[in-house]
Parts: sequence; structure tokens; C-alpha cells
Amino acid sequence: MNIVDATDRTEKLDEGEAPSLLTIILDTNPHAWALLTESLSLSKAVANLLIFINAHIAINHANRVAVIASHAERAVWLFPAPARPRYESHADGVHSDGEDSEMQDREAANSDTPSQPRDDANKYRPFAHIEHVLLSSLRQLIDTTTTDALSSTPSTMIAGALTLALTYLSKQIQALPSAMTSAQFNYSDATAVAGGNELSADGSRNQPSMDLSSRILILSVSGDLANQYIPIMNSIFACQRLTIPIDILKLAGDTVFLQQAADATGGIYMALDNNSRAGFLQYLMFAYLADQAGREHLIMPGEGEGVDFRAACFCHRRIVDIGFVCSICLSIFCEPLQDNLCLTCGSHLSMGNYGQKPVVVPKRKKKKKRALADGGADTPASERSTPAP
Amino acid sequence: MSDSTLQSWEYLETLPGTQFYRLYRSPASALAIFRKRLSSLAKSFVMMLLYLPRPMPVKQLEMFVKDTSRGEREHALDLLHRYHIFRDVTFNSTKAYSLTQDFARSLRRALTGAADSRSFGQVANVPESTKVTIHDLDEYSRQRWEGILGYMVGSSANPLDTEQTAIQPSSGVIELLKAGHLIELSGTYSRGQAAKITKEGFAFVLQDINTQIWALLFLYVDNAEVFEMDKVDVLSFLFLVSSLELGLAYSTSALDETQQRCLSDLVSFGIVFQPTRNDGSPVDYFYPTRLATTLTSDSGTTLSATNTTIGSSLSASSSGAAKGFIIVETNYRLYAYTSSALQIALLSLFVNLRSRHPNLVAGKMSKASVQRAVQAGITAEQIISYLTAHAHPQMRRHAQAEQAQLQARSTEPGRVVPILPATILDQIHLWQLERDRMTTTAGFLLKDFSNNADYEAPCRYADETGVLVWKNDKKRMFFVNRIEGVRQFMADRKASAQG
Repeated sequence: MNIVDATDRTEKLDEGEAPSLLTIILDTNPHAWALLTESLSLSKAVANLLIFINAHIAINHANRVAVIASHAERAVWLFPAPARPRYESHADGVHSDGEDSEMQDREAANSDTPSQPRDDANKYRPFAHIEHVLLSSLRQLIDTTTTDALSSTPSTMIAGALTLALTYLSKQIQALPSAMTSAQFNYSDATAVAGGNELSADGSRNQPSMDLSSRILILSVSGDLANQYIPIMNSIFACQRLTIPIDILKLAGDTVFLQQAADATGGIYMALDNNSRAGFLQYLMFAYLADQAGREHLIMPGEGEGVDFRAACFCHRRIVDIGFVCSICLSIFCEPLQDNLCLTCGSHLSMGNYGQKPVVVPKRKKKKKRALADGGADTPASERSTPAP
Repeated sequence: MSDSTLQSWEYLETLPGTQFYRLYRSPASALAIFRKRLSSLAKSFVMMLLYLPRPMPVKQLEMFVKDTSRGEREHALDLLHRYHIFRDVTFNSTKAYSLTQDFARSLRRALTGAADSRSFGQVANVPESTKVTIHDLDEYSRQRWEGILGYMVGSSANPLDTEQTAIQPSSGVIELLKAGHLIELSGTYSRGQAAKITKEGFAFVLQDINTQIWALLFLYVDNAEVFEMDKVDVLSFLFLVSSLELGLAYSTSALDETQQRCLSDLVSFGIVFQPTRNDGSPVDYFYPTRLATTLTSDSGTTLSATNTTIGSSLSASSSGAAKGFIIVETNYRLYAYTSSALQIALLSLFVNLRSRHPNLVAGKMSKASVQRAVQAGITAEQIISYLTAHAHPQMRRHAQAEQAQLQARSTEPGRVVPILPATILDQIHLWQLERDRMTTTAGFLLKDFSNNADYEAPCRYADETGVLVWKNDKKRMFFVNRIEGVRQFMADRKASAQG
């Protein structure tokens, strides 16, 4: 209440909601999906995912979505479709004729996939567009997967996908025409947080303006990400700085480090088992649809469970609970180092007193008075007997 | 959405339930209402229940919301009931919510693209040579809309000097404006009628463009019965148009008769564009303009593009960067970087304009100028919202920097720094207050409660839902502006106390 004229001056904030950008990382590891075919096949999962994406766009006219596939040996963009290279630099002019005809073939092949979806009066055009691009990119990805790629690794390139997502997100945030470009993010300042210098731990602090509120959703089916520990942790820290929550929905596979990702960035972590996998869409709609502003009002699932805070060692990529940490750069090792040199920063670390057993002083054996019932057979009897009274 | 005395969304809420169900048959309408009218928590609720096979018990829904956001939850549930989206059912002998069938089915269809309702517009094949570009569409809609506004403002005391050709609005539009009491026509028919803008007309002109368009459209829907068109059909057609994509041509062959008549009216508003053939007859396809595609958008980013193309001068860049052009100083001086005759006329309503340059007008707000405006019927709120909506990015940056500083110091974390200087805000209110000693609020007074408990509970409920206007604990009375929610709450309470 204003004291001058007793009117209520609280300026109502823009009642429009801030637009939100949802980046989905779809784990398309063929090995893992092959195991899941009975409970949830990839095609059914993608269909449900499309409905979820449509729901996200339906909520706000300005909402956006981006989808990245994390495949066996590479991470590719599914939506927005990556720009196809129209030409190559002719490094060697001799083969120009041959290259030209090759290029034409490729262009013809490129125009094969129709750039416009079928015009359907029953489908809202943005939905149709997304669905079309997503499905054609996914089909192309699967078509171009070679057996070599499949056999090379049973895991998936999630670190690469996360990095792709982060670059896209930071570009989108920069590209906003909002007047808030005065807060330049200072990368060298360890305590800086994008959007102002506030307490960085509270991931839900949102500013009531037209800024893009973004988040990342990872649909993961594979385990064994230990060999990508370092890049994943770096991406998690970057998301922390940019206050981008990482939500995880685990369809299969052991959790490894993704639980830490959700915990560190203020996202939601949920794991489905064989019984609950069929309700995939319902889980998505329930927990993962609300953006940062909406999450202020809702109680998010998965907050009460304990987080698995184990790490992977930097030398062998084994998962460790207790290990050795370099005091300079804080890298983790599972066993004492060779030459006492840290692998990351190269500083010489001395092991100190590690492994030394304490000197044990041998106990002096005291002569014990044995009980007389023993018969005194093994005790050297004293020469004298007890004196008679 | 600011509530105004004009036709607004509350009109939609007064429709009876049966008409709502008919409206929800079309997926485009369900999608449009979902997007535009529900709060974010309400949207989450709808999405949660959309694919649930059974109704959800009330207690479970309440468990999902934090205790601190109870007010938000009540507000969301109230909205959902008002729009006939949620229904109270009894499931397993507990109270539960479920989505109304028509709405749920249509929304699901909208999300999956199923069924054959053709409610999203049939794209037409247009030969390349005759294609209309987005720039042309923007030009067209801008001319039409400014023509309408200019006609209204030009009929006030400040005449518009037409340096660019403003299109005179068609007679149908003028009729509509008259029916909505935005202008008054005086004089006889034979000697030509002079239009004079009314109080509501001023309120209309100073609002942001989205509210303006919807106000006109609601007027149109209301008067549809005069033209023998069914209200629900017209509304569904409006929602259909709002779901179309900018720059694409849609064929008219898929539209039925009511929709075709609507279409020709929408052309005169500048919402759609229908090119004419050489012989003057309209072609069988039409283009939606930016005014149409942003009908269901609420966010400032899309709106700013509209404001830029429509509201600012011809020479302004339409990149969306310069969305405001007014700078207000704390000494009441005002500088507006515009050369649009419409904007200058709007400013001259409450500002004494002193000088005019090719790209700038400068003036000063004084007691006389603001009171002149108040006398003509403009409220201080309208002036302030107009100035805020068109504030220069420099002012916004300044306010946001100050906001960041405030939050860093965290002395008053909840306070929002207003974009205009606080002195100006206070002073405009004070100048208005000198004229207005009383404000009226329509509503319902509840009194004669038997004991304190009976009084406390509904009062707190009203407070949380946001409808409480005044209360007096001693006399045990309180005043609300909407009775439905409170009535329902009290009935529930009585039922649970008895049962």
C-alpha cells in the first residue's frame, strides 16, 4: 500500500510467461534399445516423446525445443535439422570434374527428403514440422549407422551430446534481443553466475522478464559412462553456472553419474523399471513438463532419495568410492601414482607416510599366577613352598 | 490481461456450459484457450490429467503443490472450473477431478493430429509469381489497424495530420465501434456523421495491441447474432485463424458459409489478407497477417515484433530490438523517438508537446495536461501502462540494472523496480486523485456470520484465490468481486460438516 494515496502500487509483472527452451538428449544406443524392445520399443518411445514435445510447445507460443541424439559413436542433431554442407572446398583442382558430378548426386540425394511436411489440415503446423524433421533425421541417423560403429563400443556419446546442447543453449541465450545484455557473464570469475551475481546454489531463482528459461532433459538407457566422467562433470559445472537444470529420466541401465547431474543443477531424476516403463508418457507429462517458473509451485519427485556420489578415477576410469586426490588440481586416482606425478597437472606429489604400518612394540609377557587347580604342571614352580604357619 | 470495462475474456466466461462444449469440439479452439487463458500451474494440471485413465482424487492433486503456493493452486482450479475444463466427480467415494470429455478429446487430438476435424487450416497452392511476402502482409495489417485507431483518435480534439495515407475503416468496422460504445456518432445521416471518441474509446486506444484486437473481436462475436451467425461458430473460426502460420496461403474452399462471411469481415480489420483478382472478386485463398498469428500468444517477445511493425514509425527497423521509444525523465519531461502520427496524437492526449523534430517529439507532462486527459476519461493506470509498454530500452536497462543491484544487496528482495521513475508514477496518481475521490468496485458483500470460524474460513479462501477486496474482522463482513468460488467453498464446507 502506498502511503501517499493508499493505492496498491505493486506493479503486476508481465503476466505473460517467459518463453522456455527445452533441449532433449535422446540416448539412441542401439545395444540398449534392443534389450528394451518388449517393454518399450524405440518407435513407441519416440512417438510418446513427440506428444510430450507438442505439449511443451502448446503451453506457450514462444516455447522452443531442440533434440539431440546420442548415438553409439557420435552425437547428432535431430531438431533443428543440421544444415547440410552444400559444397566442399576443392583442395585438389585436378579432380574437379569428378567431384562436381559427385556433388550433384549428393544434392539430389539431399533433396530426396522433403523439406516440407505433408500439408495436413488436422495437424497444427508447428507440431507437424517438428515431427517431420525429427523423424527424418532419426531415420537418416539409423540408416547411416554402420556395423563397425555398433561393435566399437557398447556405450553412448552422452558427453558429446551434452556439449552440443550447451553450445546451442548459450548461443540462444546470447541471441535474445532483451535489454538485459548489461550483465556480461564473466567466465574467469569463479563465483560468477549468468544473469547477475547472486547466490549460485539456488537454481530456481528466476528473473521475471522475457529471458529464455532453458533446461536439458536426458532420456537415458545405457549405463557404463565411466570413461566419459571428466567431460560429463565439466558439462554439469557449466550448467550450474548458467542455471540450467538437467533432468534425467532413466529408462534402463545403472545410474552412474547422471544422478549427480540432476542433484548438482537442481533437476529431477527418475528411474523407471520394467513395470513402470509403459507409463513413459505419463511420467514425462507429470514431472518434466513444468519449466523453471512452474517448478516453484510444484513439489518435484525424486528429491528424497539419496544421491550416489561416487566418482570415476582419472587413470583407469574405474568407479571408486575411496581414492587418492591430487592436492593441486583435485583429480582422482584409484591407486598410488607411478613416479608420484599427477596425470593432469604434472605436479610432483609425495606419498608421505602412506602405507606405513605403525611400529608395534612387542608386549612384555608377564608372569601370570596360574590357579592351583591347574596342578601347576606347566608353570615353573617356585623353589620354595608356601611357609607353614 | 488487464481487466477493463471493455469486452474482454470475461465475456467468454459468461457463455453457458453447453456452448463451451460445442466450442471445445474443435481442437484449434481447445488449444487456443489452453494456451491463452490458463495460468502455468493450471496448464500443468491439465497436462497431468490428460492421459490419465481415471479421475484424480482431490487430495492427490493438492499433494503435488507446495504449501506456500496454495493461492496459486486455488487460482488455477478456479480458472479450470470457470472454463469448464475440470469437472468434479466422485470416484471411489472420494472427491476427484477429471477433464471434461470434449476438451480432453480435442486437446489430445490437437497434440497428436488425429481425427478429421480440419480445424487447422487447409494450405492452398499458390503460384510463385503471385505470392505475397510477409513484409507486404505486415504493411497491409499496419495500414488497416492504424487506420482504425487513427479514425478513432482523429475524431478527438487533436486532429491527425495524415502524412501517410491512412485507410478509412470500412462501414462495418465503424458500426462495430459504435456498437461497442467506443465512438459516438452524431449528426444526421444525410449530412455526414461526425464520430467522437468516448471514454471507453480512450481506454481502448491506449492499450497494447493484443488486448485491442481481442476487444474488437469480442465485440464482433457479441454482435454476430445480429448478422445471423452463430457465436460459437464465429469463435471457433477465430481460434482457427489464430493457429495458422504467417506467410502461408490457406484455401477458402474448406470453409463453410459462416466462416466465409467472417473472413470478409476479418479482412477489413486487417487480420487476414485476401488479394483480389483483376475483376475485383476475391481469390479463393487468404493469408493470415501477423495480427492473426499472434492472437494466442502472450509473451512479450512475439508481441514486441507486432508492436514494432504496427506502432512505431515507418522508418524504424523492425528487427525487434527497438520496441519502445518513450523516455520519461524525473522532471516530467518526455521524449518520444517516433514520427508516427498516431503515436504523437496519443501522446498529445496527456502531454504538452513542445517541439517536434523529424524523428523525435519532446514535451512536458503537467498537472493541466494530465488532468485534461483524466477529464476526457483516461485513467492514470492507462497512462502509466501505455508509457511502460512503450518505454525505451534504455529505461528498461536502467531499471533492470537497479533491480540487479537491489537483489544483490537483498534489502528488499520482493520489490520490483518500476520502469518509470517513482516520482512520475506517484504524481500521475495524485493528479488523478484530485478529480476522483471515489472508485467503485462491483461485487458481493458477505455478512452476518454466526461465529468467527464460519467467517474466517471463507475469508481466507477468498484471500488466497485473490477475489477478496475488503474485510472487516470486527464486524465479520467481507467483500469479494467474484462469488462463485466462495459460494462453492462454503457449500462444500457445510456439506462436509454435516456429512
